[in-house]
Amino acid sequence: MLKALLRQSSPIALHARIECAAGELLALVGPSGSGKTSVLRAIAGLLRPANGHISLGDAVWFDSASSIDVPAERRPVGMVFQHYALFPHLSALDNVRLALPRHLPADTAMQLLADMQLDTLATRRPHELSGGQRQRVALARALARQPSVLLLDEAFSAVDQPTRQSLYDELIKLREQVKLPIVMVTHDLREARLLADTISILDGGSTLQEGPPERVMSQPRNARVAALVGLRDIHLGIFHKAAPVGTMARLRWGDASAGIDLLTTDKGRLDDGAHVRWVISGEHVQLHTQRAADMANLVVCTLQDMRRLGEIVTLQCRPQALPQARLHLDVTTRFARLLNLQVGAVVYLEIDPQGIHIMPVKRALEDPLA
Amino acid sequence: MDWPALWLSVRLSVATALILLPLGILAARWLATSSHPLKPVFEAMLALPLVLPPTVLGFYLLVAMGGDSALGSLFQSLFGQTLAFSFSGLLVASVIFNIPFALIPMQRAFESIPADLHDAARTCGLSRWRTLWRIELPLARRGILSAMIMTAAHTMGEFGVVLMVGGNIAGETRTVAISIYDKVQSFEMQAAGTMSAMLLVLSMSTLLVSTWLTRSQASQRHG
Repeated sequence: MLKALLRQSSPIALHARIECAAGELLALVGPSGSGKTSVLRAIAGLLRPANGHISLGDAVWFDSASSIDVPAERRPVGMVFQHYALFPHLSALDNVRLALPRHLPADTAMQLLADMQLDTLATRRPHELSGGQRQRVALARALARQPSVLLLDEAFSAVDQPTRQSLYDELIKLREQVKLPIVMVTHDLREARLLADTISILDGGSTLQEGPPERVMSQPRNARVAALVGLRDIHLGIFHKAAPVGTMARLRWGDASAGIDLLTTDKGRLDDGAHVRWVISGEHVQLHTQRAADMANLVVCTLQDMRRLGEIVTLQCRPQALPQARLHLDVTTRFARLLNLQVGAVVYLEIDPQGIHIMPVKRALEDPLA
Repeated sequence: MDWPALWLSVRLSVATALILLPLGILAARWLATSSHPLKPVFEAMLALPLVLPPTVLGFYLLVAMGGDSALGSLFQSLFGQTLAFSFSGLLVASVIFNIPFALIPMQRAFESIPADLHDAARTCGLSRWRTLWRIELPLARRGILSAMIMTAAHTMGEFGVVLMVGGNIAGETRTVAISIYDKVQSFEMQAAGTMSAMLLVLSMSTLLVSTWLTRSQASQRHG
């Protein structure tokens, strides 16, 4: 298990905590300047935090309290950089060979390149290779040390989409072969969701939330996480406890004067009348064009706008009982065509009570995105 | 043509370049990567010979090497001769006034190595020595070669410092630049012209080679 606890206030604020088990892929996600690359560099030994502890199993790599700081070159880490960082004066083979521990036979380097389908390009220098080929060489070089931890710093961001897809395949294949803790830095949520077992949301150098991608994205801990994971609609409401106990609680979307009452689950953590923020991910919202008698938690909306983005159409729905609110929903173009959706039409959104994720707030009139 | 003076200049140039090669590499590498608060002071001190009048530098070196100075008396007690007005003294002066000509191109060459290559070298498990040998020196080699050529060429043409520290002793301190001055003083204009033309061609060739090396380095980086 790789564990890192980092604390410092300058020059870059860090209050991060990560854990990554062997065979697990942890994605550090956050906006630019959130400190995700600093966390990776601290694990690699390229950045010395003011305080903290970094260990892999029983081996302590860094401990500020006992002044332990294993230098980067002695940490069994393989690292892939955003812009490859291949040595430009060396061939692909020599790049890999240079990282090879002395006890390994020299042909191991060629085998690693062959595993990446690069054996025929072994004598080429980096500038004679495409972006995808360079990143494969970088991955082969990172693996040449037989590392105990693999670190990927925005490793897929500098290549085009088809190349990125093939690099994803390479990483998935690699994970089947070796059971390493893999820590990946990315700002691409789709990439994190696709590849990671766990995501850790970082902002301002602090870990805001960590967990399986589905959980973090559907149950963000607070409004900031919700915004960072790309949830567009963060609503305000008032929570009313279930009465009698065991029945569904009531969520008043809006305020006492104007709003919509929705049924939701009561986890017993909120007081009656608590002001809350709430989100719902698209998978918990069912879109209908006709009202049916058995529909629960129904929100009647006017279709305010439709934006076509390739195979996806983003619908902007305006609840009729709460005209200032908006609810965005992504559907496939085919589905939109099947339902013959048009701007101005009335649609019925059926909200799954289990899918409503409620976050407490201190003040009711707080800016939802603050 | 004053062949002994030319031979002395060649010996002085080669020796200066060879002494500054390892010292320059170590200092340039440190300056390129260091964030020491006094780094600008060191840089200014090392670049001083660029702006200081050669006679001023020569004067201070002469004082520092004279028989009354600690360095001069130590040299005399060890080798039985004065440091000033000797080839050894000339070499010491030459090394000092050539520091910026060797150091600046080398420092720029080390600075132009991208930071992520240093990080990559460390995460590849390379020691500092191996990183210098396998990554930094090959990538900075053109800058280092350019520094050596500039140093050698500058030594060939230096006049003020040489005259102050070495005087004009045939076979010991009379370089080709001093010899040209000497020939003009004695109205041997043809000999002075031949040697001047030779230095002109040498200087031009040096600048061309240096420019070519710098451009090749830039195109290699962006290739």
